[in-house]
Amino acid sequence: MRKIYLYLPLLFFFILVIFFARQLILDKDPSKLPSVLLDKSFPSVKLNQLDSYKLFNKENLLFIGEPSLVNIWSSWCAPCQIEHEFLMKMSDEHNIKIFGINYKDDKTDAINVLKLNGNPFYAIGRDEDGTQAINLGVYGVPETFIIDASGKIRYKHVGPILEYDMNDIILPILNKIKRE
Amino acid sequence: MRLIILIFFYIIFSISLVHSQEALKVNNIEAKELYEELRCLVCQNQSLLDSDAPLALDLKKLVLDKLEEGSSKEEIKEFLVERYGEFILLKPTFTIKNILLWTAPFIFVLFGFFLTFLFLRKKTSQKEETSILSEVEKEKLKKILNRDILE
Repeated sequence: MRKIYLYLPLLFFFILVIFFARQLILDKDPSKLPSVLLDKSFPSVKLNQLDSYKLFNKENLLFIGEPSLVNIWSSWCAPCQIEHEFLMKMSDEHNIKIFGINYKDDKTDAINVLKLNGNPFYAIGRDEDGTQAINLGVYGVPETFIIDASGKIRYKHVGPILEYDMNDIILPILNKIKRE
Repeated sequence: MRLIILIFFYIIFSISLVHSQEALKVNNIEAKELYEELRCLVCQNQSLLDSDAPLALDLKKLVLDKLEEGSSKEEIKEFLVERYGEFILLKPTFTIKNILLWTAPFIFVLFGFFLTFLFLRKKTSQKEETSILSEVEKEKLKKILNRDILE
């Protein structure tokens, strides 16, 4: 017992093991940033109209008065094409209003995607030079914000929404916010 | 002829000198300093200066625009931290929240000194114990040594 300090390195080692194991078990990707805008009001965005689609601005986001999604996408982004199917599912089957921000995209390419794969968006706006996305803290497409009825940002999903993301993350959060 | 060549080179070099000075306007120096302090969020261990990712280019343009509008470096950093979080700063701020991050190395060094001190003190005290023999022990030792010699 006198040489208790000899066990300190071992103790230190186990503390490190606990830290590393926590990272492994939680399976959190540290390169994915949480939004700093969480629980803050969605900032006003200045977007341009895409063809004849309804323009997304902060007024119609607040007007619908129910939890909704804001999705940043682009026709040149492959993961966005993968997630498109699930955006369609959410808007068609779960009646969720999705607002789209078309990020640094070509106008005709964007319209073609919506015509070919369907339009999941309630309203949509173009961010040609990416400045509005920077305002939202977006650092890669696709990203999806969950907004509550009062227009506050409640969650940010980085990367495509796949089936399990939709079922295990997005829909439960939306339901939880709805019940509040 | 020699003089003409010299004059020719003098003019050429002075032009390039003027140009390089023009490129290093106050804004550009400040911008470059900022690029070095900001993280590219796409390739996350590179600074904006090192990165050619589309988002990094956009952020660089934003920094330049803001500097031209007259914002200070601190204001621009604040603007970006409000949107991307402190992660965008390559050098974390010295705040209460980050105090452990900054002081941990010093704490570990002090702890190391403390352990070394303990260890060395134990060792020296052990030496003293063994070098000083009690009267009884001395007698015993003498007996043993004598016997060894006799045998």
